[in-house]
Amino acid sequence: MVGWEFPPHHTGGLGVHCYELTKELTRMGHSVTFLTPFKGPFTEVPGVTFRSPGGDRERAGIPLEAYEELPGPGPGAMEGIDGYNRWIAELPDAAGHDVIHVHDWFGTVGGADAARRTGRPMVVTIHSTEYDRSLGHPWPDVLAREQLGLDAADRVIAVSRHLKQQLVDRYAANPAKVRVVYNAVRPSERLSPLAQSRAIVLYVGRLAAMKGVDTFLRAAARVAPNVPGALFVVAGEGPEYPRLVTLAVHLGISDRVLFLGHVSEEERDVLLASASVFVLPSVVEPFGIAALEAMAAGVPAVVSKTSGVAEIAAGIFAVDFWDIDEFASRIAELLEYPALRLAMGEGGRWSALKEGWAERALQTVEVYAEVLRDAPRKRA
Amino acid sequence: MKIVLYLHLHQPWRLARFRYLDLGSGRSYFDDARNLDLFRGIAERSYRPTLDALLDALEHHSEFRVSLSLTGTFIEQADRAAPDVVQRIAALVRTGRVALVAETYYHSLAFLLPPPELAEEVALHRRMLKERFGVEPKVLRMTELAYSDDLARFAEGERFHGMLAEGWEGLLAGQSPTQVYCAASAPTVQVLLRHYPLSDDIGFRFSSHEWAEYPLTSEKYASWIARTPGEVVGLFMDFETFGEHHPASTGILDFLRALPDAVAREPHLGWATVEEAVRIHPKGTVSAPVTVSWADQNRDLGAWLGNDLQRSAFEAAKKVGTLVRRLGDPELLTTWRKLLTSDHFYYMYVGGHGADLGVHQYFSSYGSPYDAYANYMNALTDLRQRAVQGLR
Repeated sequence: MVGWEFPPHHTGGLGVHCYELTKELTRMGHSVTFLTPFKGPFTEVPGVTFRSPGGDRERAGIPLEAYEELPGPGPGAMEGIDGYNRWIAELPDAAGHDVIHVHDWFGTVGGADAARRTGRPMVVTIHSTEYDRSLGHPWPDVLAREQLGLDAADRVIAVSRHLKQQLVDRYAANPAKVRVVYNAVRPSERLSPLAQSRAIVLYVGRLAAMKGVDTFLRAAARVAPNVPGALFVVAGEGPEYPRLVTLAVHLGISDRVLFLGHVSEEERDVLLASASVFVLPSVVEPFGIAALEAMAAGVPAVVSKTSGVAEIAAGIFAVDFWDIDEFASRIAELLEYPALRLAMGEGGRWSALKEGWAERALQTVEVYAEVLRDAPRKRA
Repeated sequence: MKIVLYLHLHQPWRLARFRYLDLGSGRSYFDDARNLDLFRGIAERSYRPTLDALLDALEHHSEFRVSLSLTGTFIEQADRAAPDVVQRIAALVRTGRVALVAETYYHSLAFLLPPPELAEEVALHRRMLKERFGVEPKVLRMTELAYSDDLARFAEGERFHGMLAEGWEGLLAGQSPTQVYCAASAPTVQVLLRHYPLSDDIGFRFSSHEWAEYPLTSEKYASWIARTPGEVVGLFMDFETFGEHHPASTGILDFLRALPDAVAREPHLGWATVEEAVRIHPKGTVSAPVTVSWADQNRDLGAWLGNDLQRSAFEAAKKVGTLVRRLGDPELLTTWRKLLTSDHFYYMYVGGHGADLGVHQYFSSYGSPYDAYANYMNALTDLRQRAVQGLR
């Protein structure tokens, strides 16, 4: 498995997905070699061998320290990634694996080379696209690597139907070879809420432009006068933070919004236990696992329609990402109608936990089985 | 054996999306354009061809009878979307072999509201039937075929001769569904029962390829009725069974057109309207301490008031009703009554048995029961605010 981030070192859905997937795959009896450019230590998973180019550092030419922080676009960033890919391409024991499974774009070049060299089938999982991450201003180098991965893959896994459609539309992926395997969440113990008298409307996630947190604030400004007690909590950090704080001031709701900065998973769970409504207003959201986590904790979620999570979750309000009035109305409805909040909380919880990572791993293995059925033809 | 074919015509005033932020905006709760559009579509697919088939049957078979119920909200929409549908119904009534059945004007659960709502809605409906069709109905049906001892007493007080009810084992207590009974609680009210297996053969199973009896021909169906022991068989169903629930392509309309002939070939079969049928001598009594309906597997009111969302919405509607009645503004009263239509609560149904859930989703105009509830509560909250302002 050609990966990138992995717990405890992860920032997004990709790391969680790889962790949960490898855990279930090994539980099913498969063994996984997980490639990552990062230096460990990683959360141990029995049956998973972690390999990073650190050991072969000189040969691969990887400035390992660079990966202590995720590289962003800029001069020199791709050199390290190129090194990571060269290292993957030349791994001597790649042929000892049945399937080469690449996540996103980081290792597509090396993964495709290794697949070609060994005749092994390649599966690529796309968690998000460069178009979405950059809000329509893609970095060509990344785009090219995504395209290469999609073209070289025998099967592609998208984490939502919405994302699959995007792969077909923007990358000309052959829809017949794209499968959809959603993310999942694990049931967590139910914590008791914080002692508080105010209703909490919660956003948890990065403060990036694609997350649409400004919509959250604008909706909050419309809910606030109608629901005097409600407190709007923004948990997370990111480049948009200064702009969002300024926006809250301009909207006249700085006394109603709490910016918490980065929160740990434990802190997030406490917040979820106390929240009345969870909001995920992303402009683009290939999946939106944060909403699924909220639902699993019994918190009704209002998400943008484009979120992949809206495709599988029944107890959810899905809203056009630009429709601030509708976001505000949905939030107010959940705050004002307790029967709705309870029913949707229960319905959402059931819907979020209906299929877990075990099912997702099974669906992934089905894709492996497909490419293995085709593999002899490929080699011939 | 007399066949009582009884068809129910109803359309609710569905709500527009009325947001929480729309409270106090003066916007209408109802999406008239969409409602009338839906009506036109159903008129094309179901009402017109089916009414024509019925008129044809009445013209060619002097024995043929049919009974109809039409809600006030149905007639209001028909007047605006497809007036010819009303004319077709009037033509049926003029044959003298069609009975119209009384009910609540708004297809509501008014029987669960404090008096005088139920009596007023039934009176409104009676007046409509009288004014529009010159008919004074003698048989009453409650929304969703609800029946109980209390409702039979109500029917007696309103001088109805009969009521319709589901031929459910719980109600019959071992008696046959193909006889006429006397209401245990109201001796002057006769109870006419829906034969649900035979009714559902048409209503639910007709177009199912998985059904062992598929395809159902009118001859086969008539022979089943002929083999059924008893005096009267109630085939009660939605009018839209013909052409809408089962599209014309399934052959449902041909089945209906061929049925009178097939029945005529069975020597012991005939037809009766509900009013003729309630004159048959009763074979015993039926009693329903708890309300029985024709819906879902449980035949109770669970489809409308089974979950917390539905109960909370209905309770809220009840409270707003008190304010609206105190204010006495006729426009607000009418709006409130349009919100009582049972369909609004039906859309809030959440879970339950697989088959029932499918039926509920088919009829829902919302993405989810949560949508339905939030939207309904917004409209109701707005109405409450208007009533409160009016009372100040």
